[in-house]
Amino acid sequence: MAHLKLKIEFGGGLELLFSNQRTHFVAIPSTVPQGDNKGQPADINFLTHWLRDNLLKERPELFIDTGTVRPGILVLVNDTDWELEGEGEYKLREDDEIVFISTLHGG
Amino acid sequence: MMAEFCGNPAVEAGEVLMPRKRKFDRSRICVKCKINPGNLVIRHSVYCKGCFTPLIFTKFHQALEPYINHVSVGPRRGALKPSGALLIGFSGGLGSSVLLDLVYQRYCANVGSDNLKGGREHPRKNKVWQKIYVCYVEVSDIFPETSDRTAQIREAIARYDGFELIPVRIQDAFDRTWWERVSGGAAPDLAGLPFDLGGGDSEPVAALQTHIRALPTPTAILSTLSTLTRLLLLYTAYSVSASHIVLGTSLTSLSISLISSISQGGGFVVPQAIQEEWFPQFVQRTIGDTSWNGEVRLVRPLRDVGMKECTAWVWWHQLLVVGKQRIPVPKQTIGDLTKNFIIGLERDYPSTVSTIAKTVGKLAPRGDSRVRCVLCELPTQQFVQRWKSRTSIRSFTDDASSMDTATSSLPHYLCYSCHTTLTSKSARSTATLNLHSSNSAPALNLPMWAATRLALELGSEQSVGPGAPANEIWETKKLDDGGMKSLVGEFLLENE
Repeated sequence: MAHLKLKIEFGGGLELLFSNQRTHFVAIPSTVPQGDNKGQPADINFLTHWLRDNLLKERPELFIDTGTVRPGILVLVNDTDWELEGEGEYKLREDDEIVFISTLHGG
Repeated sequence: MMAEFCGNPAVEAGEVLMPRKRKFDRSRICVKCKINPGNLVIRHSVYCKGCFTPLIFTKFHQALEPYINHVSVGPRRGALKPSGALLIGFSGGLGSSVLLDLVYQRYCANVGSDNLKGGREHPRKNKVWQKIYVCYVEVSDIFPETSDRTAQIREAIARYDGFELIPVRIQDAFDRTWWERVSGGAAPDLAGLPFDLGGGDSEPVAALQTHIRALPTPTAILSTLSTLTRLLLLYTAYSVSASHIVLGTSLTSLSISLISSISQGGGFVVPQAIQEEWFPQFVQRTIGDTSWNGEVRLVRPLRDVGMKECTAWVWWHQLLVVGKQRIPVPKQTIGDLTKNFIIGLERDYPSTVSTIAKTVGKLAPRGDSRVRCVLCELPTQQFVQRWKSRTSIRSFTDDASSMDTATSSLPHYLCYSCHTTLTSKSARSTATLNLHSSNSAPALNLPMWAATRLALELGSEQSVGPGAPANEIWETKKLDDGGMKSLVGEFLLENE
């Protein structure tokens, strides 16, 4: 199975859920291997579930809520707001940099 | 014949949802420079990274600089000449980290450099603030589950030149030494008074813990900590001759705190929740006097900057966020529920969060009040207890007469919100404490500013002459028709 190499970064306290490590280099399947979207190109929705199943160490409810990234987490795709890229439906490409930053660490 | 029904369209057509608006209005090109592809969507508008930084600076100084001079010089912007120093309230959280960076970039970095753009009066040409303090309030002493983060905060602030850290501990609110230091005078001798405010806890930590244990709900605990922190910052600002306090309340945090505060009975002080002019109880002010007498102006310069923009600022400027201390109380507080609601709203309908703050910002209470609550020192409606007694059922018996022990009970000196905080569950109510019956009711520990003011008010009450007796008691009596007629009889016109 072909894989995509990605750089994943966590900020704003989210790194605490991922072994307290801010930067991760991962290789994920380039297509969704199972489920309703089987065979579709990997997108951010698939990535978030992959991260939950493979990298997340604790409290998944702080990362995923109702099937997508929890409100209050800013997602940047190659330094650009994911809202400009189609949010969860953005099709991932080789060497993409995806950043997840929690905004919920107080004021 | 079978009756025809309209049916239930919501059930037949599935759940009807409000159509979700597109996340950005026009193209992916920055709305400001109209050249570069956008990097961030802010309430449906797209901005590139290059235009984002000046946008935040503009919002920051538009929200702060018109309020720097003690007396506004009108719409034309003149030189910025604050009356005193600046104190930054720093929690270590997202907003205050952004605020710290913005204050530094605008007023400290490269001050005096001739190579910078800007006119003669530009803040960078002349140092606006002669002294900038950063105040951090540590709460770990009363919650053993939390750790002291003062060292981390000190490290975060040390990365900026020109800031002086003032660490304060939350229990200082109950510390006579602290009070004498910030107020510049000796604390009154509370032991000599005919009531017990101290509860026997001479240690500030124990006194605060007693106070917190008496609170009825987790919401009340968070609300109390917030009030104590605000007053500690204000009195600290006064003690270092600061004329301004800035807080890192973002637009999102402001919307959360406004809704949460109104839910807890703080509707009367909505204007103060956005911006506040405060002066200590012992400062005498003359009406019409425009000179600065130590008043502190509390401003929220990030009130137009959302949480998402703060996060983007932190990421793109590579700031280190220590994180706000989590208070170990159950999650189901009014503040947390409001926060979850607003954060979800911001994701789906981002403009609505801005609308909350801007709409609530236009509200003003009916009438003005110069009376301040002894606990939170915010304006309070007069005769709240009398109003409450008329709008609520307090007894199932048909009691025609009720006694309002006006000045002898603590509620008389509290605002509606603080009274609600102390009494939201009647079983553990603390505000029913009668100040003059120290031997029967349990003593309620109060912060130093509240205890001092009560001591002064009750002390002066006892020293007044016979015409105005101490412990004045107001009685409200329901009259029957005959009683009412006899009372107003002399004013009635006789029938011809």
